[in-house]
Amino acid sequence: MLMAVKNQIKVTLVSVKYALMREMLNKWTFLMNVFFMILNNASFILQWIVIYSLKQDIGGYTFEQVLLLWAFTASTFGISHFFFRKAYSLSDTITYGKLDSYLVQPKNILISAITSEVDASAIGDMLYALIIVLISKLTMWQVLLFMILSICGGVILTALAVILASLSFWLNKSDMIADTGNNMTTHFATYPEGIFNGIVKFLLYTIIPVGFTNYIPVSVMTNFDWKLTLMVIGATAFWVAAAFAIFYKGLRRYSSSNLMIAKI
Amino acid sequence: MRKYLFIFKAELMSALQYVANILLHMITYFIVIIIFFYLWNYIYDDPTQLINGYSKTQMIWYVIITEIIWNIVSGRKLCRRICDDVKSGNIAYNMNKPYNYIGYILSSHLGEGIIKSLIYITFGIILGRVFLGAFPTLNVLSIVLVILSLILAVVIDTLFIIFIGLFSLYIEDANPLFWLYSKLILILGTMFPIEFFPEVIQKITTVSPIYVICYGPAKLFVDFNLNNALNIIAFQFIYLAVAFGLCGVLYAKGVKKLNVNGG
Repeated sequence: MLMAVKNQIKVTLVSVKYALMREMLNKWTFLMNVFFMILNNASFILQWIVIYSLKQDIGGYTFEQVLLLWAFTASTFGISHFFFRKAYSLSDTITYGKLDSYLVQPKNILISAITSEVDASAIGDMLYALIIVLISKLTMWQVLLFMILSICGGVILTALAVILASLSFWLNKSDMIADTGNNMTTHFATYPEGIFNGIVKFLLYTIIPVGFTNYIPVSVMTNFDWKLTLMVIGATAFWVAAAFAIFYKGLRRYSSSNLMIAKI
Repeated sequence: MRKYLFIFKAELMSALQYVANILLHMITYFIVIIIFFYLWNYIYDDPTQLINGYSKTQMIWYVIITEIIWNIVSGRKLCRRICDDVKSGNIAYNMNKPYNYIGYILSSHLGEGIIKSLIYITFGIILGRVFLGAFPTLNVLSIVLVILSLILAVVIDTLFIIFIGLFSLYIEDANPLFWLYSKLILILGTMFPIEFFPEVIQKITTVSPIYVICYGPAKLFVDFNLNNALNIIAFQFIYLAVAFGLCGVLYAKGVKKLNVNGG
């Protein structure tokens, strides 16, 4: 069992490595993608400077906590889009019968299908998070905690993307639903938890898992709490299990479209 | 001109087949408005308070209007389409047709946008009425001028995105340039009126495309003033000519560099 997991991780990393090498074929485009993504994220600092000039406390967050919230948004988004980019186009893969080539591989079908491409600009997201971590003057322990929570968040986002994409096994053209669901998470993830209340807040800890990818991590980074940290790890396990269960349940309904594609 | 009207009509008819997709996109629009509704509710202590001359209701209406423009234009999709046309060599099939590529892209994108406009405007107004209750004071003349300003804003924004997309004739991928442009539009124009920024930024924004694409139409909607309206619309016509000119020059020079292999 442990050997199988080790092998799977090894294959996944090799897959990611070659996907990255493909992206780096045109170095100028690659660097521009990364650099402009950092600028793109940094531009939102201006938005928060304006908001904090109107009121000193926004949803119980200080300006530094909003920066940390953005660091988590960028790192979780970056990890998910870099390592598991294909999870975001899995709907198309299913709808157009492109899963065939993964079915014959002697490795986990879902992991092989979602790790076969990387998004170069997601490196910009991860670097942006790193820059914020550096300027936030965190302790080594906090940096380690940030990395663990970011990985958990990235995995939860990926699991959500897989679940939404798996709807394609049952529904036609559900890619729009998947896109809407994934965008929804990003929109909420960049605003402090305290401004929301009622049903919206409930949704942020259930079907829109921003509470576990962003809000609890920011809280844990400010005031460390073992229980909350374990809750994030537990939520990650739950979302991953749900993603695998739904994907494999849907896979039973999958039928090939006899599409001929070359995988190089 | 007739050929572009035909392209416009063809895209309009095609967009009618995908109304369900547009309706699904409304969920994202709804979420953005909900977030701003909560945010401004948190920032404003009471409904009569004014911040930089804007009441809470005006601020939320402002975002409703600017987000309508943002969604009608769908800049990311447009820029990606032009970049893909260049990368895939598809642009070669458009070049040998009896129309100008810029005119073709503009008319087809606007044709697609017309259905979106009707849906977004209707939904936006319903959303504002439900959440805010109040509607800005507008008479027939002001409604006509606000609509004219909205149309001009959409056309100018579309042209600027075409301009950015055409950079893919020089560099392989112009999408990163679009990210930067879109964030400037989003932060300096869509989220806040220009009065919310320091004076230096206000001065720059007033002469930038942001003024005619976001601030102008939204400001007219929330706080109509005839003099302001005429100023904004005149400024929009100037920007319209500038945007057309820039696209024309960039395309004429860039297309000479185009090298399509196979197809």
